[in-house]
Amino acid sequence: MTKPRKSPAKAVEIIAPDSYPQMLSKPRAARALHSLRAPETAAKAQAAMEAAMPAMRAAILQYVDEMERAAGDMAKLFETAHEIRGFAETAGMITTGRIAEVLCRYMDDLTRLGRKLDTTIVALHVSAIARAAKAEDDSVRNGETVAAELAALVAKRLSDVEQK
Amino acid sequence: MSGPGFENLKALIVEDNAHMRALLRALLNSAGIKDVVEAGNGQMAIEILRERKSDLVLSDLAMKPMDGLEFTRYVRNNDQSPNPFVPIIMISGHTEKHRVQAARDAGVTEFLAKPITAHNLFARITEILERPRAFVRCNGYFGPDRRRHQRDDYAGPWRRKDDFQDAEIR
Repeated sequence: MTKPRKSPAKAVEIIAPDSYPQMLSKPRAARALHSLRAPETAAKAQAAMEAAMPAMRAAILQYVDEMERAAGDMAKLFETAHEIRGFAETAGMITTGRIAEVLCRYMDDLTRLGRKLDTTIVALHVSAIARAAKAEDDSVRNGETVAAELAALVAKRLSDVEQK
Repeated sequence: MSGPGFENLKALIVEDNAHMRALLRALLNSAGIKDVVEAGNGQMAIEILRERKSDLVLSDLAMKPMDGLEFTRYVRNNDQSPNPFVPIIMISGHTEKHRVQAARDAGVTEFLAKPITAHNLFARITEILERPRAFVRCNGYFGPDRRRHQRDDYAGPWRRKDDFQDAEIR
């Protein structure tokens, strides 16, 4: 007996990898893979990351200023929160990035559900992001605790909204 | 001098954030990919693609006036596209499931969630080199095969020519 299959709809063309131009020829790809996995490549990449950090941290602080000034402008606030979310953790500002992540999730989910944002929750996050970003040691215990508590608050609020 | 294997590779970075562009360029350079061009959004990237061959594209998702999804759909589907098969790595902080699915359905090759690390970026490039994906052309989609895994319990419609060639007789 054949597998239970629905009748085929429209034909699908499959183009095998050997039938279209690849990023690199096979011999070059083998050499490139070796290069990608080499310890010296990892060391160069790490050095590149570290060299980029100061400018990235300065940019995050600028985004935070923009976010604080955007009070009431939810579109601008979401835009800057998104930049901070994607950017802060890459810059090593872990707590800042995590709080921004929670804020983005909250704003994104409620907007998709067509519900109104609770401005108090948004303001709490903006304040926490600013404090975390401006702290000298971003990974201080207080920051981690605030991030976890805000995540729990947002999870509860989203759960309440979805159950209504 | 470029690293072994990557000597002639031309990469294009499409990202609206100058700091992220600089970081991505530095990471590609550290892997030996030296020929890198940058664009600030999808529209600029299309103009660059028309004038310069690109073998690898790293693209952000959220950009104005043209975002990474629209850019990817152009590359894959437009008659004027210089290389519909070019590997596109979509990089985004928007990691919600519906956004990742939108990127997949636009035709991206790989999805890289921020925060960016060298390890994760190189892993996506490695995946493209080691396991190049077949391309699929069907009604409403052209791009890398979206079925990344063969599931024995697959219960969806069977639409491919070779689905029946592979059917098991029990």
